[in-house]
Amino acid sequence: MSYLRDIWESRELLQNLTNREVRGKYRRTALGQLWSLANPIAAILIYTFIFSFIFRLPAQVGDPSGIDNYALWLVCGLLPWLFFNRVLTVGTESLVANAGLIQKVYFPRIVLPLSLANATFFTWLLEMGVLVVALSLLGSFVLPWLPLVALFMIVFAIFAVGLSMIFSIINVYFRDLSYLLTIVLQFWFYLTPVLYPVELVATQSDTLGGLLGTPITLLDLYSLNPVEGFVEIFRNLLYDNRVPDLGTVLVALAWTVSAFGVGAWMYSRKEKMLAELL
Amino acid sequence: MSEWAVRVSEVSKRFRLYHERNQTLKSAILRGRTSKHEDFWALNDISFDVLAGETHGLIGSNGSGKSTLLKCLAKIYWPTSGTIEYRGRMASLLEVGSGFHLELSGRENIYLNGSILGMSKKDIDSKFDEIVDFSGVERFLDQPVKNYSSGMYVRLGFSIAINVDPDILVVDEVLSVGDEEFQRKSFQKFRELKKQGKTIILVTHAMPVVRDLCDSVTWLNNGVLQQSGPAQAVVDAYLASVEE
Repeated sequence: MSYLRDIWESRELLQNLTNREVRGKYRRTALGQLWSLANPIAAILIYTFIFSFIFRLPAQVGDPSGIDNYALWLVCGLLPWLFFNRVLTVGTESLVANAGLIQKVYFPRIVLPLSLANATFFTWLLEMGVLVVALSLLGSFVLPWLPLVALFMIVFAIFAVGLSMIFSIINVYFRDLSYLLTIVLQFWFYLTPVLYPVELVATQSDTLGGLLGTPITLLDLYSLNPVEGFVEIFRNLLYDNRVPDLGTVLVALAWTVSAFGVGAWMYSRKEKMLAELL
Repeated sequence: MSEWAVRVSEVSKRFRLYHERNQTLKSAILRGRTSKHEDFWALNDISFDVLAGETHGLIGSNGSGKSTLLKCLAKIYWPTSGTIEYRGRMASLLEVGSGFHLELSGRENIYLNGSILGMSKKDIDSKFDEIVDFSGVERFLDQPVKNYSSGMYVRLGFSIAINVDPDILVVDEVLSVGDEEFQRKSFQKFRELKKQGKTIILVTHAMPVVRDLCDSVTWLNNGVLQQSGPAQAVVDAYLASVEE
């Protein structure tokens, strides 16, 4: 309990560290914060060109929104993924990168991954703002869904930061993790239905049937990926304009609670030793 | 008889010296969970009190464990056994300018560094002018800190730290920052803090500083407490042992 109070008391520090990240990042660049939109835009152009134009992947039709646009459909899943990717990448490094600070000043160490996630969340918020405008212009009646979108953005952020907390502690023991993570995230990206609809996996899964004589299908394994559910939720809300499946929501919440719970537990146990371990 | 402000009771600190540390995945897999280490006791059963309003010096030769003790007092290391209790708010000053962001301006860094050191925004607002004044970097306040000279950098860091205004201040050898004039100002500031009744614990090698500022002193040698008591007597004993 006293640990929670410590965190609460350092909320100003959390805010200041977040500001440090947000303001410090694009200092002395002409475009400033606009740069944070550059990466997603480049990714959208590339993927749309390859998958929609070259591979002729049919666009998904939003049900009931009726919009029919691959690029938009892609972005609704891509932006959450890019956020997740960044939180994990910077969060995992957060302790090792701030070793100097940890060895010189006492403060609850948990604010380091939290502040980085906050700063990344701010960027994501900008991106989502642009997306909402684009969706509205192109026929998705997204406005009434925004409160739910905001809610799930927060839930997803807690899930992502929980994982990054776990990884940041492991990274103190095994510095390999941050390098390994880059590769894992690549696999993870293609194993998440961001570029292609999950229905294509379902079709393959049906052809294969139960794997190795068991009733477990390829789709079952595929659905173990927690990010899959989140991507589905965001697409439901933003692209289809409908309430996500309750089962999907519950699984996503369960993942969030466990990831953050384990992360916080690891910090409360290991925090005092970090200065020596680094 | 005044009350204690900091009570160190039977504090020991063990470090593990790893011969083969499993810090990569490969070595962990190849060797399993076992890694070879040997224990090193940097502090051994240390107990002393620091009275409220006192300035207390930690002395000893290199490797005596005084920095480890200071880090324990600053809550950066945690004692393997024993406890350290505080009466009042503790702040530590082990390095000046910890957490400065080089691209941010001096002004922004005052707020950032201040909050890292445990100040609230309100505290910083009310102390802002004093910090700027003391540091003497007023003209460059809106310049990024990376353009500061090293002197300006430490002066700003020191000015923030000295204005944290805790009840108990834990200080490493930071008295020696800046030029002659700034050092004199820093000493003046320490005397002021002392007059205000703050408890100060500092590590230093400079015996004149100890004689000048400290009321009481703890002398460590190889992680063992040699003597703790009135400054003059302990310093004399320490110097006598060094000369032997």
